[in-house]
Amino acid sequence: VKMFAVTEGKHAKFRCFVTGKPKPEIIWRKDGKLILSGRRYLLYEDREGYFTLKVLYCKQKDNGVYVCAASNTAGQTLSAVHLSVKEPPVRFK
Amino acid sequence: VEVEGVPVAPLDVCCHDANKDYVVVTWKQPAVEGSSSILGYYIDRREVGTQHWAQCNDVPVKYARFPVTGLVEGRSYIFRVRALNKAGVSRPSRVSEAVVAMDPSDRARLRAGPSAPWTGIIKFTEEDPTVGIIPGEPTDVVVTEATKSYVVLAWKPPVQRGHEGVMYYIEKCISGTDSWQRVNTGMPVKSPRFAMFDLAEGKSYSFRVRCCNSAGVGEASVATGDITVGDILDLPCAPGN
Repeated sequence: VKMFAVTEGKHAKFRCFVTGKPKPEIIWRKDGKLILSGRRYLLYEDREGYFTLKVLYCKQKDNGVYVCAASNTAGQTLSAVHLSVKEPPVRFK
Repeated sequence: VEVEGVPVAPLDVCCHDANKDYVVVTWKQPAVEGSSSILGYYIDRREVGTQHWAQCNDVPVKYARFPVTGLVEGRSYIFRVRALNKAGVSRPSRVSEAVVAMDPSDRARLRAGPSAPWTGIIKFTEEDPTVGIIPGEPTDVVVTEATKSYVVLAWKPPVQRGHEGVMYYIEKCISGTDSWQRVNTGMPVKSPRFAMFDLAEGKSYSFRVRCCNSAGVGEASVATGDITVGDILDLPCAPGN
């Protein structure tokens, strides 16, 4: 699984291109748990047709494996990445 | 058992302009009105594969044309219509042919036959929270249908979209006032079209549209001219037609 890192406090954006007929149903999971759209998660299909998950204002608890799973009547598949959240650089007053 | 004096069932229920937001259902009024003239119609929908008929309109509609909204994208529906007069409600019409709540482009793609899904590698970007472009204003807002019971709007997406999918808020304003009210107070709509109900008959309105994405809500489009909600079934050309 590919590893990516994001700085604490920044947004992490994952984009996954999906094909299939009929149009597959897409779900995102984090460590096996279904991600639902909400205050910290944005889920949408962008203008280029990528299924996109945005994790806003990343915290340490956002560390983990993110999976984009697609399924339709003909089958199912998934892609996964690992995200680690880096401590922000120390700020001096 | 026929109830005395109620209208005969409406005829020829057809679906037009099906897309993921609404399906326009039309029908013909029955030859026999019953003991008194027809006051309006009820439209019912049923998802194919289920047994449950749901009534689409609370208030009977007078025109033999109605955009049914609230459909689930990709599902198939059939429709039937009942006519109402003072004596009561007719038997339902014959059902329409099944229609899929889906945009024409998606329907064309589907005809190519099924194929298993494929997911590409996930691309990752870190974004600064301050980054986020609010989309510009939509253009060419037009009223494609205006009747007593509903108005359908269509528009073109903004040139400046930001980098995400754009969604829309629709606003209405009673002519002669300066107070704009949001029509879809809950969810923004995803497609560049919208069917509105619950407008006051005989009043005149103008409409405008705003785009939004996660960064915020954009400027309003140029407003349409004043549209009177009344008896005239007014069908100007849709943009691009």
